[in-house]
Amino acid sequence: MNAATLYQSAVASLPEIVVITGACILLILGQLVRTRREDVLLWASVAVVATAALLTLMPAGEVRTAYAGMFVADSFSVFFKSIFYLTTLLTFLLSRRYADLEGIGSSEYYVLLLFTLSGMMIMASATDLLSIYVGLELTVLCTYVLTGFLRHERRSNEAALKYVILGAVSTGIFLYGVSLVYGLTGTTQLDAMAAAVAGDPRDPGLLLAVVFIVAGLVFKVGAVPFHMWVPDVYEGAPTTITAFMSVGPKAAGFAVILRVFLNPLVAGSDAWIVVAVIAVVTMALGSFVALVQDNFKRLLAYSSIAHAGFALFGIVAGGADGIASVMLYLLIYAFMNLGIFGIVIMMRNGAFSGEIIEDYAGFARSHAVLALLMLLYLFSLAGIPPTAGFFAKFYVLVALVERGFVVLAVIAVLLSAVAAYFYIRIVMLIYMREPTRAFEPALPPMVRATLAVTAAGTIGIGLFPAWFLQLAQNAVFGG
Amino acid sequence: MGLPLLSLIVLVPAAGAVVLMVLRSDGAVRWTALAVTLLDLALCIAMLSGFDTTTHAMQFAEKYPWVPALGIAFSLGVDGISALFVFLTALLGTVCVLASWVAIESRVKAFMVSLLAMQALMLGVFCALDLFLFYVCWEAMLIPMYLIIGIWGGEGRIYAAFKFFLYTLAGSLLFLVGVIVLYQHGGRTFDILALTAQDLPFGIQSWLFFAFLVAFAVKVPMVPVHTWLPDAHVQAPTAGSIILAGVLLKMGAYGFLRFSLPMLPEASVYYSTLMLALSALAIVYGGLLALAQDDLKKLVAYSSISHMGFVTLGIFALNLRGLQGGILQMFNHGVTTGALFLFVGLIYERTHTRSIADYGGLMKLVPVYTSFLALFTLSSMALPGTNSFVGELLVLSGGFAANLAFGAMAVLGALLGAAYLLGMYGKVALGPVSLVTPYKMRDVNAREMAAILPLAAFVLWVGLYPKPFLAITDASVRHLLVQVNAEGAGR
Repeated sequence: MNAATLYQSAVASLPEIVVITGACILLILGQLVRTRREDVLLWASVAVVATAALLTLMPAGEVRTAYAGMFVADSFSVFFKSIFYLTTLLTFLLSRRYADLEGIGSSEYYVLLLFTLSGMMIMASATDLLSIYVGLELTVLCTYVLTGFLRHERRSNEAALKYVILGAVSTGIFLYGVSLVYGLTGTTQLDAMAAAVAGDPRDPGLLLAVVFIVAGLVFKVGAVPFHMWVPDVYEGAPTTITAFMSVGPKAAGFAVILRVFLNPLVAGSDAWIVVAVIAVVTMALGSFVALVQDNFKRLLAYSSIAHAGFALFGIVAGGADGIASVMLYLLIYAFMNLGIFGIVIMMRNGAFSGEIIEDYAGFARSHAVLALLMLLYLFSLAGIPPTAGFFAKFYVLVALVERGFVVLAVIAVLLSAVAAYFYIRIVMLIYMREPTRAFEPALPPMVRATLAVTAAGTIGIGLFPAWFLQLAQNAVFGG
Repeated sequence: MGLPLLSLIVLVPAAGAVVLMVLRSDGAVRWTALAVTLLDLALCIAMLSGFDTTTHAMQFAEKYPWVPALGIAFSLGVDGISALFVFLTALLGTVCVLASWVAIESRVKAFMVSLLAMQALMLGVFCALDLFLFYVCWEAMLIPMYLIIGIWGGEGRIYAAFKFFLYTLAGSLLFLVGVIVLYQHGGRTFDILALTAQDLPFGIQSWLFFAFLVAFAVKVPMVPVHTWLPDAHVQAPTAGSIILAGVLLKMGAYGFLRFSLPMLPEASVYYSTLMLALSALAIVYGGLLALAQDDLKKLVAYSSISHMGFVTLGIFALNLRGLQGGILQMFNHGVTTGALFLFVGLIYERTHTRSIADYGGLMKLVPVYTSFLALFTLSSMALPGTNSFVGELLVLSGGFAANLAFGAMAVLGALLGAAYLLGMYGKVALGPVSLVTPYKMRDVNAREMAAILPLAAFVLWVGLYPKPFLAITDASVRHLLVQVNAEGAGR
């Protein structure tokens, strides 16, 4: 690699470099900042993310490959990186007060989030199984630590340990699949793999390799049968981290799955059958188990499993519409899920944990606006128009039906009717029960801003989806 | 055509709902809501006065791009089939605001916002010329209705709200898949007129017919899927019941008229006997259930099932008289049953009981109330001179032409209607004064009269001179029959 290509590679990956460098500087800066002055860290992190966002969005439209074909900056990755920036920024805004309350507001918290961000960005841009692996590990290693950040809570520790062990197993499975692919094709580059296999794409060995890789990736998005960690980790982790993980790393996992599935090698095989089965079972499990949850975070964990199942239907559909539908789904999911988590985080105040669903009874009586926001997020998660959640599901269904998977579409809608039950149960609690306690939600301006942004996204994309649809479609066709 | 009349009709209540959110005093909320519904009603009257009865084409049509990439447009229009319901919705909207004036004491603002949101969405359903827009309005209605039943309802309101929500959602979602299949076969557009024009193979028509049937049958409701209705009706506040009976139930029948018949003509003809059987079943079964009720609201709710059976019977008779009667009967049922629910609500506000056994001799206590109750009761049992007589006669004559046996069953249902309605009226209004209810009662006041009088006027107007109403529907129904028969005759 000569200086010119190195320079080109560095330019193409400039946002990643900025984030990682920023994180390293913050690590040092964190030691110099006095306690009670953590605001500086927060705004410095925000500045890092904003710079990276600017560098990503400015040259958007051109495709630049880097590092000998292991990395690419294309419109597909720009779309996903935008989701990551949004998620990270909103998480920062939500974190400030919550972190103080829980005593986790040290510099490492922000630094680790930035490193996670860089991992996700690498995942979105990776075009080689090995660079995928690097991004994947960077992401999950940081989230392992963040999950266990509530050091004095058993729940948090347990969750982190569980996450590490299961995560390590899934990484092993993924790497095994990669090694099989390398043995069969002699390359780990996604584009080169297809070219290397001149013969039958349904070669059993190759199919096995694909199944291993898919299994490893399925763990990251929390789909069945690798979903077991999700409820425990979501419940045990600090709520801000749960909010972050349910959106960011999950979207990153989907980005990788899409990249792998865009590959003609996989698209030509019968791997979609595996994904279809996973999608149905994931959605069914998430929807049915969520019915009996009484902890809000666990409920949202199962809800996120169900949503992952629905998004997987878009991958089953495949094709340009299928891919665009998954991307749009993830963007919309980011808004509505961060919104509902914002509510849970806001409720954490004093002795009130805000984690027990029953505790929300009668919330609408005293806080009409916040209750209306909750109603909005919950109906959006349930997929009722005119919210964005409806359009997300609608587009996935369109993609499915266009590919002739009408039966899968019927299964998907019936399961989402089941899922609607537990969302509207919460609406019932907040609106139709008498309050049993006084509510004192913590509403600093930053949390207000987050709620405003997510609400605007949830209702705005629902009413005017055309522009966002265009973005997602351009990201697929243009990349 | 300068003014986008239909957009205004749909968006005025929506804008009104937003305005209400920032108001503070309950009084201001009530008056603003009333003003908004009156304005909407005035717009609807303006629309009807400019309505051309000689054409079946869509009138006042508007079209704005919405999601062009998927062939979705914000497209509105009315024809003879929808025009009456647009008007009915606006009329009942005003009645609802008046009916909730004092009946709703807590969270008045939230209630009126839900009511206006509901009205905007219902009008959207009837005006939509784009299937996506139709579906969005159709399903979004669940949110305000769920809140109206669940927050301001009676004792069992939470159960009723859940049942209503889940039944309707499950039905609608299959409809959604059907819509997407239609979209895919119809050249990637959601334009209702374009989708109507295409010719689908019979196999697909059959599947779609049943996918649509699930959604529409739940809404109508037809007999096997009617069980949400008594719960929802009984628990809902008065305004909720009026909306449910007056407008929501019409949407199922409207769906048949707008989608099933013209888009799936072969399947509609093929399965018409099945639909006639289900309708006749609903007429008789609903009537029998109503006969056994002691709760006033339940009685009216079950009578709705029976009466909506007449509507679907008329529609699937697939002849001119049946269809015209069915549509007119939809309008009549909205007026009459809306009024009956209003009356149950009025007396409940005074006595706090709905049990028929608790009442007696109301004629002596509240003569004006009872006289109007008599009018609407007689209208509900289709006495000549009232609106339902015209509609039911047309339906029966159409029904007999289509199928003798089901026509006969419908007549039996009409007899049952006379039995339970007269029985109810006799117990409530006549005889000695009941000791359970308060001895002194306030009769109808001016506000209540303002809600009752327009409904009473329509009962008599349609009953004595139905021509203008039939004229509105005539051209569109004839066109619809041509569509069904031209393509459906092959089967």
